[in-house]
Amino acid sequence: MDMDMDMEIPLPEELEWLESNALIQEEEEEDYYYPEEEEEVQEQQQQQQKQRQSLEPPHTTQPSSSTSNSYIKSTSVADLSLAAENHINGKKRPRVDKCRSDVSSSGNETSDGKRSRVDPLPDIEHDDDWLPNLPPQEDTDSAPPVVEEKFISRFASEIEGAYMPITGPSGDRVYAKMSWAEVNDASKKLRVQGYANGLVLEPINVLMEKVEQEALSKALQTSSESPNDLILPEAPVVTEQLWVDKYAPNSFTELLSVEQTNREVLLWLKQWDSRVFGSEIRDTTDDVLSALRRHSARAQNKQSSDISYFGKKKGFSSSYQTSRHSSNLFKENDKLKSLQELWNKKSRTSSPLEQKVLLLCGPPGLGKTTLAHVAARHCGYRVVEINASDDRSSSTIEAKILDVVQMNSIMADSKPKCLVIDEIDGALGDGKGAVEVILKMVAAGKKYEAGKGNVAQEEKPGKISSKKGLKTASLSRPVICICNDLFAPALRPLRQVAKVHMFVQPTVSRVVNRLKYICNKEGFRASSIALTALAEYTDCDIRSCLNTLQFLNKKKETLNVLELDSQVVGRKDMSRSVFDVWRGVFQKRKLKHERKSMNGCSSTASDFDSLHSLISNCGDYELTMGGIHENILQRYHDPRMQKTVKCLDVLGVSDFMHQYIMRTQQMPLYVYQPTFAIAIHNLIAQIEKPNIEWPKSFHRYRTMFMEKKDILRSWNNKISPSISRHLSPECFVEDVLSPLLHILSPPTLRPVALHLLSEREKDNIAQLVDTMVSYSITYKNMKTEPLPSTPRYEGALDTLALSFEPPISDFINFEGYRSGHSGLSSAMKQILVHEVEKQKILRESIGGPRHSYGGNKENRALLGENDEAFSVKTYGVASFESMENGKDKSKHMLSKASTSTNSSTSGLNRNATTSTKGTASASKIRHTSSSNFFDRFRKFKSNDPQGSENALPKPVTLERDQRPLLFKFNEGFTNAIKRPVRIRELLL
Amino acid sequence: MLWVDKYRPKNLDKIMVHEEVAQNLKKLVTEQDCPHLLFYGPPGSGKKTLIMAVLRQMFGPSAEKVKLENKTWKIDAGSRTLDLELTTLSSTHHVELNPSDAGFQDRYIVQEIIKEMAKNRPIDTKGKKGFKVLVLNEVDKLSREAQHSLRRTMEKYSASCRLILCCNGSSKVTEAVRSRCLNLRINAPTNEQIIRVLEFIGKKESLQLPPGFTARIAAQSNRSLRRAILSFETCRVQQYPFTSDQVIPPMDWEQYISEIASDIMQEQSPKRLFLVRGKLYELLINCIPPVIILKRLLSELLKKLDAELKHEVCHWAAYYEHRMRLGQKAIFHIEAFVAKFMSIYKGFLIATFG
Repeated sequence: MDMDMDMEIPLPEELEWLESNALIQEEEEEDYYYPEEEEEVQEQQQQQQKQRQSLEPPHTTQPSSSTSNSYIKSTSVADLSLAAENHINGKKRPRVDKCRSDVSSSGNETSDGKRSRVDPLPDIEHDDDWLPNLPPQEDTDSAPPVVEEKFISRFASEIEGAYMPITGPSGDRVYAKMSWAEVNDASKKLRVQGYANGLVLEPINVLMEKVEQEALSKALQTSSESPNDLILPEAPVVTEQLWVDKYAPNSFTELLSVEQTNREVLLWLKQWDSRVFGSEIRDTTDDVLSALRRHSARAQNKQSSDISYFGKKKGFSSSYQTSRHSSNLFKENDKLKSLQELWNKKSRTSSPLEQKVLLLCGPPGLGKTTLAHVAARHCGYRVVEINASDDRSSSTIEAKILDVVQMNSIMADSKPKCLVIDEIDGALGDGKGAVEVILKMVAAGKKYEAGKGNVAQEEKPGKISSKKGLKTASLSRPVICICNDLFAPALRPLRQVAKVHMFVQPTVSRVVNRLKYICNKEGFRASSIALTALAEYTDCDIRSCLNTLQFLNKKKETLNVLELDSQVVGRKDMSRSVFDVWRGVFQKRKLKHERKSMNGCSSTASDFDSLHSLISNCGDYELTMGGIHENILQRYHDPRMQKTVKCLDVLGVSDFMHQYIMRTQQMPLYVYQPTFAIAIHNLIAQIEKPNIEWPKSFHRYRTMFMEKKDILRSWNNKISPSISRHLSPECFVEDVLSPLLHILSPPTLRPVALHLLSEREKDNIAQLVDTMVSYSITYKNMKTEPLPSTPRYEGALDTLALSFEPPISDFINFEGYRSGHSGLSSAMKQILVHEVEKQKILRESIGGPRHSYGGNKENRALLGENDEAFSVKTYGVASFESMENGKDKSKHMLSKASTSTNSSTSGLNRNATTSTKGTASASKIRHTSSSNFFDRFRKFKSNDPQGSENALPKPVTLERDQRPLLFKFNEGFTNAIKRPVRIRELLL
Repeated sequence: MLWVDKYRPKNLDKIMVHEEVAQNLKKLVTEQDCPHLLFYGPPGSGKKTLIMAVLRQMFGPSAEKVKLENKTWKIDAGSRTLDLELTTLSSTHHVELNPSDAGFQDRYIVQEIIKEMAKNRPIDTKGKKGFKVLVLNEVDKLSREAQHSLRRTMEKYSASCRLILCCNGSSKVTEAVRSRCLNLRINAPTNEQIIRVLEFIGKKESLQLPPGFTARIAAQSNRSLRRAILSFETCRVQQYPFTSDQVIPPMDWEQYISEIASDIMQEQSPKRLFLVRGKLYELLINCIPPVIILKRLLSELLKKLDAELKHEVCHWAAYYEHRMRLGQKAIFHIEAFVAKFMSIYKGFLIATFG
């Protein structure tokens, strides 16, 4: 059963290729080298003619390799199989012939190996079938007991001369006699007639004759070709069917995808059984389990997986299969038991399906659609497919889904339907419709089950509850969605409700096995090395493999490893993520073999190629370069910075080129962008894995830059034109800002009440206010700290702090930089806010005509600003002002404060055109928010310990003490306030 | 009001810095045959002030009554219609605008809006001025296409319209446009001129100026009059009466760049470069033009550099500035300059100290 081991002689260049790529072909290489040694050993043995028990060839390939040397019987077995497969193997005949003809000349297992590769399967089948039958026949038939007493025996000692061990599928070992073939062809034929007569229905000699004739005609046909050329032009493929369709797996066991996925898909489908078929899960379990078992048994001996395909197709050797399964079953049982248990648990509780939709995703060509179809068919559904070619607008798809999912067909063979929505991510707009409909139905189902299921469960826990689900308008048939890109935005909602299966690539060997099988069937010659290369090249996309092979077959070309790139029709346009690209740039690829340092140049060339295709497939060069720039300064040794300089130069050139392309719109020049990245790769790529970050900083820079620019521009528009016309935003930042900040917060200004200031100080304040108004700067309550440089006495309280509006101080707020600017105290700021407001209103009233040409917009802007400023105003300001304004004002204020309502916003819709009204409303709004009211005191309190602020607190506390208002402030989580208030105070 | 605005000369007679230019302009305007004008010169040299004074000379005080307009223009550009938002400052006689605000669509501004404005003769023609004036700021930032479409407009509507162009460097203005204008180079004021202005302001503000104080301000001002006056006022606010050794507060961003420069001098490694990159981003975020960053960084580095390296470093700074202007992402090129400098400096250190 292990005889299908490949025996091929790779061509020298193939070997080279193999070595350079370090494939998993190790075993095959071994196969190649091993038998030679074995042969020698064996020959020695044969000369010695000794007991051979100890010399059992460890390698299973030996029997097949030695068949050519051995007695005709085994050859005839092979020929039998050939005859059985007459229709395809016709062209192989000459080789057989040839090998037979020069058997003696050489024990060259080249041709033999080839042959055994060509038809390994029949070989085995026949061997297996033949073995149990043969001995009695042989015993009866073989007349001359001297020469060939026993050809097959259980004991080696019973056989004279050379023998070989053969192991049957059941583990029986027999020994077959080996005789040396005579050079004489005639005698060979004779023997064939003699000994192989009764094995097949058709007499073997007839078959042999046919074979001979065919071979002869073939040989004549191809006589023009060189005799060593084993690759013969073949008859045109009869069927025009695509191989992909022709060899699509028909049953679950033939699936090529990873069984884990297969099994889970099947399991999921099976969970529907209770509600779709309404039957006990038990009934089907055995069925499915056996299927699963068979399937995983197949997976167990992967080497011979081809056999089963063959067997299944051919329809014979079923008995063999079952026997084999039984032998494997106990191995598998343990594994499956757990699965079964899990299953039983599920089915027993029969809880409603958690996920009613299955979402298969993975790269194209791995067999998702096939799996969905096969699995659904396997479970007894009729598959209804909706794919991208159908109309997928929301309304049509809803009707279709309803039709599929809720109707039972009244046809005779009313299989329930299973909906397969293919390429659900394909067309975004349309795909969404489908997703929406499905989501709606899933949601409906959930609701129903949540409501009804609970009741039912209480009454009679069991399957009935879920059965009731059938009658609702919910999803009652399995829906399988298939997509390539799981993270397509349209699928986002679906991802949450669906059971998601990621498809992974099947192993290369599985794909190669399958390909080989198909090649054999089609009579296309391809070495398994070449097939492996092809599979790797296409990332195990079996569809593209098959298409390529078929194409080559049509062209009557062979698959050549070395010319794969040029031969293969189309390479899948794989787009990798940018992260892969960056990783490719920064990470050196490990050389598979250290020893092949001599062909370093070719490896760099291939490196270049692969990187180039990687980067150009990704496409977004700007992003690529941005990521490279972001991550470039990491972990490479560069003592003199020369590499860095080069890399940045390269980046600079790429930027320059990008700009040029954008400007001149010469998009073809983009072709040269990947080379920049490759240059960088050659300079700084490291072996170890880089940790790559998404290029955030440039993006951050862009957004923040735009933001700040906007601030500047809008501010520039706010400043009266006579000033702003002289200032561009650039020169503002460059020249004006730093001095302006100094000027706006003079350290000489004493933070005391206005009336305590000297004349000159009053002048200064007036000038300051004038500046602020003309530059339309004011202070505003901000949640954040205004400047890191300001002393942190307010920081702990996390209060609202007054800072510039517009936030001009941010422009010098560089990271890690402490400017020498000293902010004003908050009390002073409050004074200034008030003064600025006053000044503005004053200007408005005076400069009425001025505003008439200022246009509506400006007016509005000013108004808005006023509103803001008024709402900002705190009681602290008011208190200062109250001293000036006299007693009636303070009384007014007190009454307002005691009520302390929050109806402040009503004051905002005042008319600001007249100054009198403005001031009146100003006093009205002063108690805008109670938090502001107390903020003042908090700040003053906290100011106390501050030595620099000594001048301020004293007058303030004095003032506060003089006033009749008493309050207690509890600092804590809430702004809880308790204070006794007497009516007398309110009436004062 | 800041002193910069307060003491800005309103008419050509009061101009203190570029007297001869002012006088020439006055003659030109009074002769009523005013050509197109192109003012160019470094920032802070008084171009806008001159322009305002010229306008006032032309139209009298009514030219100062300006209003700000933010208008959206619908432009039919072939297959599609564009919406361009443009802020203009206009009086009855002139319109001032900044066409480069529209970015790469500035061509349409020139082709449609400016042409539209230039076409319309002012209705009020019974006065002596039969033309209106368009003031275009930052002409050097206009794209080549826009400048080309400008030149025909200049010729065709010269009867009804005069253009006053204003920019920092004339090299980026195409030859064709330059030849259609009277080019007026406005030099940066010399230190003596700045001192004169500062002393004039000091007298007006009746301040006591210690000897040499204004000279120090002028020396630090980088020959920008605006900056000189602003730092003069800052000093006034910080401390008055002045002392002769008073600290003149530096520009914050310049301070920050000198920090970067000392970072670079301390260590030369990719890691340090990464740190410098973060700081450069900070500067760029805060709207400091990259060219100015590079220039300033160079001058800061040159201060600390050995004489024999200066030439090479300057060469490379020029090289990378050129590339920066060609390219799009300024950070790449500034960083490349820093890396180049680090490499040169490291090589120098190794060569000298082993």
